[in-house]
Amino acid sequence: MRKNSWLLLVAALLAVLALGVVGCGGDDDDGDGGAAQATGEEEGGEPAAVQEITMAWGAEPPSLDPGLATDTTSANVILNIMDPLVVLDENLEPQPNLAESWEENEDGSVITYKLRQDGKWTNGDPVTANDFVYSWKRTLSPELAADYAYQLYGIKGALEYNSCEKNCEKLADKVGVRAVDDYTLEVTLTSPQPWFVGQSAHHSFLAVHQATVEQFGEQWTEPQNIVTNGPFQLEAWEHEASIDLVKWPEWRNADEVDLERVNGRIIVDGTTRVQAFEANEVQALDGSGLPPAEMSRLKELDEYELYEYLGTYYYGFNIKNITDVNQRRAMSLAVDRQTIIDNIAQADQVPATGMTPAGIRGFEDINPDSPWTPASGDLEQAQQLMDQVQNPKTDINLFHNNAPGHREIAVAVQDMWSELGINTTIRAQEWAQYLEFLGPPPSDQVDVYRLGWIYDFADAINGLELWTCDSGNNNTNFCNEEFDGLIDEARKTPDDAERFQLYAQAEDIMFGEDGEMPILPIYFYTLPNLEDTCIKDTFYIGALNSLDLTDVTVQGECA
Amino acid sequence: MATYIIRRVIWTIPVILLVILLIFSLMKQIGGNPFRQTERAVPAQIQANLERKYNLNKPWYAQYGYYVKDVFTYDLGPSMRLRNRTVNQIVQEHFPVSLKLAILAVAWGLLIGLPAGILSALKPNTLFDYGGQLFSNIGFALPNFFVATLLIYYLAVRNDFFPTNGWPTDFWDFNDKRIILPSFALGLFFMAYIARLVRGTMLETMQQDYVRTAKAKGLRWRRVVMRHVLRNSLIPVVTAVGPLIGLVITGTFVIEIIFSIPGIGRYFVTAVGARDFSVVMGITVLAALVVILANLVVDILYGFLDPRTREARS
Repeated sequence: MRKNSWLLLVAALLAVLALGVVGCGGDDDDGDGGAAQATGEEEGGEPAAVQEITMAWGAEPPSLDPGLATDTTSANVILNIMDPLVVLDENLEPQPNLAESWEENEDGSVITYKLRQDGKWTNGDPVTANDFVYSWKRTLSPELAADYAYQLYGIKGALEYNSCEKNCEKLADKVGVRAVDDYTLEVTLTSPQPWFVGQSAHHSFLAVHQATVEQFGEQWTEPQNIVTNGPFQLEAWEHEASIDLVKWPEWRNADEVDLERVNGRIIVDGTTRVQAFEANEVQALDGSGLPPAEMSRLKELDEYELYEYLGTYYYGFNIKNITDVNQRRAMSLAVDRQTIIDNIAQADQVPATGMTPAGIRGFEDINPDSPWTPASGDLEQAQQLMDQVQNPKTDINLFHNNAPGHREIAVAVQDMWSELGINTTIRAQEWAQYLEFLGPPPSDQVDVYRLGWIYDFADAINGLELWTCDSGNNNTNFCNEEFDGLIDEARKTPDDAERFQLYAQAEDIMFGEDGEMPILPIYFYTLPNLEDTCIKDTFYIGALNSLDLTDVTVQGECA
Repeated sequence: MATYIIRRVIWTIPVILLVILLIFSLMKQIGGNPFRQTERAVPAQIQANLERKYNLNKPWYAQYGYYVKDVFTYDLGPSMRLRNRTVNQIVQEHFPVSLKLAILAVAWGLLIGLPAGILSALKPNTLFDYGGQLFSNIGFALPNFFVATLLIYYLAVRNDFFPTNGWPTDFWDFNDKRIILPSFALGLFFMAYIARLVRGTMLETMQQDYVRTAKAKGLRWRRVVMRHVLRNSLIPVVTAVGPLIGLVITGTFVIEIIFSIPGIGRYFVTAVGARDFSVVMGITVLAALVVILANLVVDILYGFLDPRTREARS
């Protein structure tokens, strides 16, 4: 009896203590008291006392070196620990960041950035224009063998330097980037490129700290070695497990940054990410994708958020195999894109009506309003067109890579094409094999193949130049001189309105009334994500899949 | 005994050379571009730069020579996909994780499988035995990723008993709750396997003449079991456990993905898909070494446990 009553007393004391601890934590907003977190009303709560979140990253960044990184996870971490020259706003227009202003010369082939004078590296050194000269040349150097060196090919002399095999120092000096003085960076381009300033928001254009890179070589990105210049610092990086960022109090605009700490857990599996979110272990995902099987359930949650994402999901034709343009048009007409989106992809994607996605500037002018891509398909017209085809190819091989989601779409399309008398065999392949198969030129067996294109920067040329005759990304055997001519001319046209007209003509050649239909665009991507209501208002993923943590503020209680 | 061990160790060298040759030719056969991870084509100049950097532009025998040298000097080269990491670093940081996971899984197997098997054998054809066999069949039949997802859902999401994913960074940390669900899910197969194995060997041993003699002599059944039956039945278990630990490298892949465990299994399978030659080579050689070592240890132990083997060897 005594033992029991002692136990009860201890239990009661503990309970009281526990209540006390809970009561003292966090910032209570508006007397919600014991009720769960805010129900997603737009007014948001007050900024919480503790500005710390845990988020899930969908992959281990293969590299945090701006010269070597190619994937979006690396890019998102890098863009938060470094200071880009410009950033893109919600309309994807470049805004001053480390560069406080920029000027173009008359024809737009020389761009001069004026840097702010208060940029600093974490070791105290100032950020100067020389840092950018060093970094861009380093990325272009053949020794580094940077995968994304081609992002900088718009700079004069860049391609030549990158292609060099020996004695390359002279070519390095000829690359068109120089520091006029410590805070003025002059970039000479191969031709006027109106999108260049916007493109320089890409992580490949970031500066790295020369002394650190030279001292530590490939290990310079480890947390104990790395020197950065951005709003957050890399505090810890347990490979394949976690990445922790902390606010750098000496960043030039540190008082505008609310978040003190971002703990990142690397969770590779989509289902596990969702489970971690629902167990309240993480407050946000990074936009890496939600498992298709769960989409219908997740869409109903308050924590669900949908972002625009500049990219096009398409089926390409091998026009050497499917030679009759009417057959290609018929196959495109037969596809009911809206049904695929509603029932299979399930993330409110936009049915594609051309190559250039909605959200690119000038979309309304560029979009060809193709008669061959009605959102819900037009089977009747498709069948009529198919009847006009002299020697239709009725046995089709449809190839796709074996990632989740593609097979289901292929099966739906196979069914839709069977209405045209086409017998489709679906072939799934492992990724690296698949790419070998596609060439270019594609293997003979390929009749139709599936791919997607995610835009690097927000100008239509990034997607349209894929379809030129020489493009390494053109697996269709489509080669149209007029099209190539339009693209070349567009590259030299700084005026937006004029350039959009050229893009429109190019799209017309592909998808217009007399369009050749080398590809069958299916949908424009979207980015679904899950975010706790305590940060949902300020957590934003831009249309180029960019996450700016300086905007995020924790409001109210996180779950 | 010493000569036996030395002979085995020396035999390891040709085995490793054969493994390297096999992996090298297999990787060359499957083709694929290690530098093209996304749909974006790699411009010709960049492809050339990369091939030069990683010696892929050299003839095949030169490349093979580099690999052999790398393995024997324990400088396994840089990863082609993870540009800031070397294979040595990857192996040093992540192999212990998978090793720990596999050891824990085998521990679960022994912890649950051994008693289950023993009790099944001692009470054959009773309800307990049938129950044990049913459990064993389920352990074989259910894929571990299925069980893993269920465990996470019921024990981590619906109820907060365990974290959903992750793994402690410190190898010697055995208090962290995160080690329990993954090792249990992985250990399911071992539990089933060991239970069945032990049941079988014990039943067989109990038929032996010396057991009948012991019972006839009047020894208590318990003493018979503990002293005679158990020891002799467990020898095959020892033999089995050795190579089971050898499965550590690739067997853990799925569990590592689901539970976000930074182990070597994940690296290996990802590296094959990405055509990261140096990582594939390095990890395969490591796997071969682990299997060889595990088998060697088991054989030595076997010698100690079973005097008949010792005599046959000398």
